Amino acid sequence: MVDVGTTLEMVQASQMGMQAIGAGLAVGLTGLGTGIAELGIGAAAVGATAENRDVFGLALLLTVIPETIVIFGLVVALLLLF
Amino acid sequence: MLRPERMRRLLIAAPQGEIETVVSELYRHNVYHIEDFVPESESPDGLSIGHPLPGASDAASALIKVRAIESAAGIDPENVEARAKIPASKVRAMMRTDLPAIQEEAEGLIASRSRLETQQKEHEQRAKELEPFTVVPLDLELYRGYTRFTVFTGHVAHDVDIDVPHEKYFSDKTAGNMIVVVVQAEHREPVERALLDAGFQAVPVPDGTGSPAELRNAHLADAGRIGDEITAVNTRIAEFRERRTDFLVACDELLTADVERAEAPLRFATTEETFITEGWVPEGQADRIREALERATNGRIYIEELEIDDDTAVPVEYENPSFSKPTQVLMDIYARPRYSEIDPTLMVAIVFPIFFGMILGDVGYGTVLLALSLGLRKFLKGDAGRMLLKVLGIASISSIVFGILYSEFLGFSLPWPALIFSRHLNIGGAAGGHGPQVVELMIVAIWIGILHITFGRILGMINARRLYHGKHATQAVIAHAGWLGVMWGILLLIWSFFPIPMMPDLTGLPVVVMGLNVSAVAGVVLLLAGIIGIAQENALEVVELPTIISHVLSYARLVAVGLSSVAIAMVVNYISIGMIIEPQLETITPLGVIIIIAGIIVFLLGHVLNTALGLLGGGLHSIRLHYVEFFTKFYKGGGKKYNPFGMKPKFMEE
Repeated sequence: MVDVGTTLEMVQASQMGMQAIGAGLAVGLTGLGTGIAELGIGAAAVGATAENRDVFGLALLLTVIPETIVIFGLVVALLLLF
Repeated sequence: MLRPERMRRLLIAAPQGEIETVVSELYRHNVYHIEDFVPESESPDGLSIGHPLPGASDAASALIKVRAIESAAGIDPENVEARAKIPASKVRAMMRTDLPAIQEEAEGLIASRSRLETQQKEHEQRAKELEPFTVVPLDLELYRGYTRFTVFTGHVAHDVDIDVPHEKYFSDKTAGNMIVVVVQAEHREPVERALLDAGFQAVPVPDGTGSPAELRNAHLADAGRIGDEITAVNTRIAEFRERRTDFLVACDELLTADVERAEAPLRFATTEETFITEGWVPEGQADRIREALERATNGRIYIEELEIDDDTAVPVEYENPSFSKPTQVLMDIYARPRYSEIDPTLMVAIVFPIFFGMILGDVGYGTVLLALSLGLRKFLKGDAGRMLLKVLGIASISSIVFGILYSEFLGFSLPWPALIFSRHLNIGGAAGGHGPQVVELMIVAIWIGILHITFGRILGMINARRLYHGKHATQAVIAHAGWLGVMWGILLLIWSFFPIPMMPDLTGLPVVVMGLNVSAVAGVVLLLAGIIGIAQENALEVVELPTIISHVLSYARLVAVGLSSVAIAMVVNYISIGMIIEPQLETITPLGVIIIIAGIIVFLLGHVLNTALGLLGGGLHSIRLHYVEFFTKFYKGGGKKYNPFGMKPKFMEE
């Protein structure tokens, strides 16, 4: 439903705003997802590393696996914005 | 380079009589990695672990003494800068003559310090107990010794009215208020109840006589005097440390060497008349140590070179050009390479600074970090810390270079436009030129990812041939080729449908079948062949296929993390300069000057924060790309550290 007084500029501006909101949601929500996923892994990884320094490499690797989610979100956000 | 130092496995056997000569010769050369002898119960040849050399327990107990003195005086040999090397004979002589006196001196100083500290605490405690009573004008003896009266002393929330004959003092001049009530013993209960209703907390009357205030001041004066004495003792301990550090660390080193030498036979296999030891020597040193041992024992020794049958048993020592040596510390954090695999230190040493520079490409931050890495060198004395600082130094130089290319200085642009892709965001309406080239930067990052991963897979093929044998090696090589096939197949498919800037445009190729053009068909073939290649090694690996996309896209962080750092810098500049400082510069008023100073503080704080974030972001994300995206393609790791028997004397010379 388009208002009678709406000009082309206003439509474009509100589209820009929608894009920005979409980009923000993409990064924000995926960031939350990654954070929740890394919560448990990170805690366990720190514990394991404290027990045995040698597993640091593996622990780091496991901890950062969920980062993929936020990277996807970021790619989507950048594609939306630029 | 590109692989660990070559090792030779030596077996040394000699008569028991030569054990001391052999041990000290091996220790002096500091190249022989002892393979500890583990006796097996069923071994038929009667081999057993050797006995320590005579003097082992004496040296060990002397070492414990020296370490105790060091820790009491606060000396940490790790952090002591060697001034002059003391000859070992002199250290031994001094250990006999001076050490007991030094030990006595150190123990005396420490004991008197802890005695004084106890006394000081006691006085302070007494003063604290007297504190509430200083506000009541009564001498201490007046609180005690009554048979027909009860005395209440304590903290209370507010003053209390008491309706029996009494004497009362109340003061709110002390923390928690203070109340003293004296009543006849028979009125004790109602008074106590009234007090408790007002939140009464009893405080015991301290020992002593006379005015509480005077008594407290006397205790405080005593505590202060003792504090001065403690300072004096601390000065003497510092003097002691100054005087004795050189000798003590030399003692520590010499005794450590003695203990290690004396206990070496515990790592050997012995029979009644002989001993046998196995170990590893770098290839270049093997002949030298052989000759040295034969000379030292007049040929009464048997040395044989053994075959290397198990590559996990070989101790691993890096062999790198000096430029990439500091990066070894980053390798050790992950895992030391195995003996027969490729040592990627050199590649990390080259690519890590480039990634760091791409993320934190800013002349200002780069200069700050370079200064930091040079400045901290004085304070960090450990080996690992110094190597990390060198890595940081190289990375910050790369950051400066990329800063010049990006034309960035603390978020401002330098007097030239960006030489490569611009990262200048439109914050505060200040952006000139064509704005940030985010898409181009992303595609460059993806290209870097594709090439880095392809390179990793190729290394994976080489490693598979080195680590495995026969059929397994072929399978592993085909699987790596399969992963490459899937990745490039997906790329060809994408390119054949979508034209992407800065990537090959294959949409215009002639259509062959089912609307697919040549490159799409090639892509499908590669993809399917790749999946078969992966599945023939391990069918479960197929579930990992999506990681191909996520790993390539992961390199987008090179741009994303960098852009966020640029954004923070520009926002800090806009807030501090655009919003706080500039409006005040138009008409300068006294208040305006204060606001300008506040603006400068905001500017500094913001950039300090962003430097720390940039260091973390740039460093962690660059190294993560190596650990997770690059190393998982080829690197096994898990090599044993080469730990030669012997030491490089720092404080003494033998």
